Amino acid sequence: MQMIRDNNWVLSVGTFLPMLGVIALLVTPKANEAAIKMVALLTSVATVIIGIFTLVNFDFDQAGAMQFVAQTDWIPVIKSTYFIGVDGISLPLYLLSMVVTLLVVIYSLDHIPSPGNPKAFFILMLILQTGMAGTFIAQDLILFFVFFELVLLPMYFMIGVWGGEQRQYASLKFFLYTMFGSALMLVAFLAIFFKTGAESFAIPYLVENGGGIAKNVQVWIFAGMFIGFAVKVPMFPFHTWLPDAHTQAPTQGSVILAAILLKLGTYGFVRIAIPTLPDAAIEWAPWIGGLAVVGIIYGAFGCLAQTDMKRLIAFSSVAHMGFVMLGISTLTSFGVNAAVFGMVAHGLITGMLFFIAGSVKERYHTLEIAKLGGMLTQVPRLGWILGLCSMASLGLPGLAGFWGEFPAILSAYNPADGLNVSVYRTYMVIAALGTVFAAAYLLWLYQRTAFGTPKGHDHHDVHDVTTYEWVAWLPLLVAIVAFGVVPNLLFGVIDPAVQETLRAFGG
Amino acid sequence: MDIAGDFLPPTIEWFALSPYIALVAGALILLLGSLTPQWPRGWYGLVSATSAGVAGVLSVLQFANLADELPRTLVKGALAHDRFGLLALIAICVAVVFTSMTTVDADTSDSLEHFALLLTAALGAAIMVTANDLVVSFLGIETLSLSLYVLAASDRRRSASQEAGLKYFILGGFASAFLLYGIALVYGTTGQTSISGIGSTLAGEVSVPRNDAMLLAGVALLLVGFGFKVSLVPFHSWTPDVYHGAPTHVTGFMASLGKVAAIVALVRLFVVAFPTRADDWRPAVFALAVLTLLVGSVLAIVQRDVKRMLAYSSISHAGFMMVGLEAAGRIGSSSASDGVSSALVYVVLYSVLAVGSFAAVSVVSQHASDVTSTSEGQSTTSLDAFNGVAKTNPVFALGFTVLLLAQAGVPLTSGFVAKFGVIRAAVSTESYVLAVLAMVSAVIAAYLYLRIMVSMWLSVPASGEATSALAPKLSLPLRVTLVSAVAITLVLGVLPTWLLDVSDSLALFAR
Amino acid sequence: MSVGESGVSEFLRSYLTVGWFGIAAVVLAGLLLWVASLVRPSRPGHEKLLTYESGVDPVGEGWSQSQVRYYIFALLFVVFDVEAVFIFPWATQLERYGTFGLVEMGVFVFVLLLGLVYAWRKGVLRWV
Repeated sequence: MQMIRDNNWVLSVGTFLPMLGVIALLVTPKANEAAIKMVALLTSVATVIIGIFTLVNFDFDQAGAMQFVAQTDWIPVIKSTYFIGVDGISLPLYLLSMVVTLLVVIYSLDHIPSPGNPKAFFILMLILQTGMAGTFIAQDLILFFVFFELVLLPMYFMIGVWGGEQRQYASLKFFLYTMFGSALMLVAFLAIFFKTGAESFAIPYLVENGGGIAKNVQVWIFAGMFIGFAVKVPMFPFHTWLPDAHTQAPTQGSVILAAILLKLGTYGFVRIAIPTLPDAAIEWAPWIGGLAVVGIIYGAFGCLAQTDMKRLIAFSSVAHMGFVMLGISTLTSFGVNAAVFGMVAHGLITGMLFFIAGSVKERYHTLEIAKLGGMLTQVPRLGWILGLCSMASLGLPGLAGFWGEFPAILSAYNPADGLNVSVYRTYMVIAALGTVFAAAYLLWLYQRTAFGTPKGHDHHDVHDVTTYEWVAWLPLLVAIVAFGVVPNLLFGVIDPAVQETLRAFGG
Repeated sequence: MDIAGDFLPPTIEWFALSPYIALVAGALILLLGSLTPQWPRGWYGLVSATSAGVAGVLSVLQFANLADELPRTLVKGALAHDRFGLLALIAICVAVVFTSMTTVDADTSDSLEHFALLLTAALGAAIMVTANDLVVSFLGIETLSLSLYVLAASDRRRSASQEAGLKYFILGGFASAFLLYGIALVYGTTGQTSISGIGSTLAGEVSVPRNDAMLLAGVALLLVGFGFKVSLVPFHSWTPDVYHGAPTHVTGFMASLGKVAAIVALVRLFVVAFPTRADDWRPAVFALAVLTLLVGSVLAIVQRDVKRMLAYSSISHAGFMMVGLEAAGRIGSSSASDGVSSALVYVVLYSVLAVGSFAAVSVVSQHASDVTSTSEGQSTTSLDAFNGVAKTNPVFALGFTVLLLAQAGVPLTSGFVAKFGVIRAAVSTESYVLAVLAMVSAVIAAYLYLRIMVSMWLSVPASGEATSALAPKLSLPLRVTLVSAVAITLVLGVLPTWLLDVSDSLALFAR
Repeated sequence: MSVGESGVSEFLRSYLTVGWFGIAAVVLAGLLLWVASLVRPSRPGHEKLLTYESGVDPVGEGWSQSQVRYYIFALLFVVFDVEAVFIFPWATQLERYGTFGLVEMGVFVFVLLLGLVYAWRKGVLRWV
């Protein structure tokens, strides 16, 4: 893989800038809330500026190459290096993590969830940002693991402290599930390290040499990684932490969880598990695809059974990540392209839906679908935004969701060599059915919350979209439409990198 | 044996023995304190902390010296002078310094005996970790154990403490008997007690060894004896009761220093003396490791009392160290030495965590007993006592949280470095089963640390205004202890390079 | 267990002497007691069957508590007993050990002495 080492400070600065903000926040007195909010805002704005600089200097003609690569010794004894870089797959997710954090910070300026304490809240959010961005740029398994785990604690505290009624249960479940996954993942990482000659943890090195491992060993190592990533995605049957975590998390936590954290798992499959262990990937792909379509259908039925708006959106995540995993499981560049697009699109759309859910909760003090209604008459702008996002989520052509879902289904028609075509075509049919269910539950949700007459919420809390909300939401809405209309904005960046990643499968 | 002939006094390398001398000197100075009136508060602790500190600095100097010297034995082969033992010795000194500082603040009477016993225990542990002779090792074990028996029973107002001391004494004596019998059987077959000598004798046997049954019986008895001391399942049953009953700072001392001494002595004995029988003892170590990991972590999460929780968690940690020993037992593998150094690094890092965690527990329990002095009989270390600690003292809670997370093995803490090393050794020697089981048990145990964190951060104090009215108070020595423990945990977690750099030299034993 | 010619087994065989010695002792003592019981007259009485306690009348049951000070004295006795066990063989070989031996024993006695001083200051030596 080609390495471009220009501007190699950019990624480190972009990743660790939030930590500078954390230090600044630590010395800011707790009572001075305005200063705290200002520091958090400035930090995330500065991070996004670095992100834009990264975007501008990214060489789009060589999107398949690692760019801004920095590599120095870190822990030489165990042959782990500080090795970072972005390619076309990492870049959108890396930037998404920065933008979403900024938007969440903006939203939080006006919406610190109970029990308050913005200082701690913003500190956790910025640590989270470093962990997420770091995971997407790490090119060394140990570095990747450290960032991957770094995300865990802030999110645990965010759910546990600022969450809803059942927050203790939800946060514990989230933590233990994820930790269980990463525990086995660590063993798998070590196994692949030793099986490739104990030379390096660098991902490009392992991609070069991982294929040489005996197939039966590969299959076991893949199993360890699979559990680690599948819990994070989350794939059926490891998904049960997700509805609880989402329902109990504060709005900001839900948004970050949906928009970025779930992608860590799918990104792990695309970046690590599949390229380093190609033979095992072929063995595992039908099972992954099978679990993915089960997830699609299960998620859809789960949605139809929900009475709580936030829980419904959470279950819809299970279904959507099923499409992403189906695309990945085809092991074709078409499918993986769709999957990466789907990751970004789901991040934008579901993140947005959770924002809306938070605002609905704030206005109506309930998320019971049965108690909502008439949003279009009472809060028309919020209602229309919900409408747009529901349509995007169900995969309406012209909006971002379509380009993640439709090509993923299509890719299952023609999976990579060595995969059973008839199995995949069955998956395709089931997944297509899933889109119908998706339309059903999302339209049902929209109809019951937005249409009809308001159900007696006349108090002054019910107001339309505020300025803070507009500022936080508009970029997401613009992106949803823009990527929907001109999907090549994204596909153009992703595709070369996907081709590069899937070289072992003949493209 | 021929006793006649000219007697050659052993050459004494005074500098190499200086850490031991510093510890003894401290204990003797404290005993001389009986001739004088009671010293001002804190002075006894100062003496013991100082002498342990001096011993620690001297050990560090020798550790550094060994960079360009070969490991060797001292006092006619009685003690080993190698980095393996010296790193453990440093950890022991650190544990004594920390414990002295937390003890100063403890409610128990400010008596010279307490601190003198800390130093004699440290001396026993120091001898255990460097002993190159089974008899010397046994002397160390007894010196350590006798001191700990008394320390465990030192809180005379609580009957639980008396019970802990007695229980520890009886079971410890039982374990010593096993050890002694094992030593006798090994001596019986090999004709010597020198650990490195046994190793070379067994390695020198050309044909199929005779008396193997007797030797293996000896090895098994030694494993059982050390299993008691290390508290491996199924020899662990004393641990929760004793850890729970003993005064909290003593518990921290036992968990750190006792563990270091026992694990290091065990690893040295098995790796230096019995490598040729590794195929025989490794399955036993494997079984003990699996049992210890699973039973320790599963029983830990059902406890209601924080001290008992941490006691079971220390059992589970011992299981991790056994994973390292199991890897060290794969003699044929090129990375068997990784097992040795990873077990040592694990126990050394754990010792700091244990002292710090139990110091934090003692702060909370002290506070709880101040607040709820009216209601007798209620344990001051129950999980409820931790409710809402973060609200009254967030900095303290944050420090304790770091220690707990490190015990759970979260990255960027020393606990992760420790677990990573052990798992790495296991994977590199292809014991995947053990590696996976160890990680699973780490996740099970993580629930326990989370429960304590949940209590501190997410629960409201049971007796509302009474608790929030006064925050747990921390004296200066306690603050220093906690801050240093947390600092060590984080610095070694983020930059483990130094520790890992020397880890190769750790597996070079003096023979 | 086969008794071969190697050094290890030879070493083991030297234990055999101890074993024979023990067996002989038990047999001899048993034999003497048995012969004596054949010869001596046997007229048991109440006084004769009482437990012998240094000539003092036995009071109460055997399973009774003793004063703690007895333990302390027993401990002190053991300490000095062990010291004597060390010093006697040392004294016979002192010439061979030379200055080294003297210094070593000096250290040993000094440490022990400190213990005694400690015990004395704590009032252990007083019979309260």
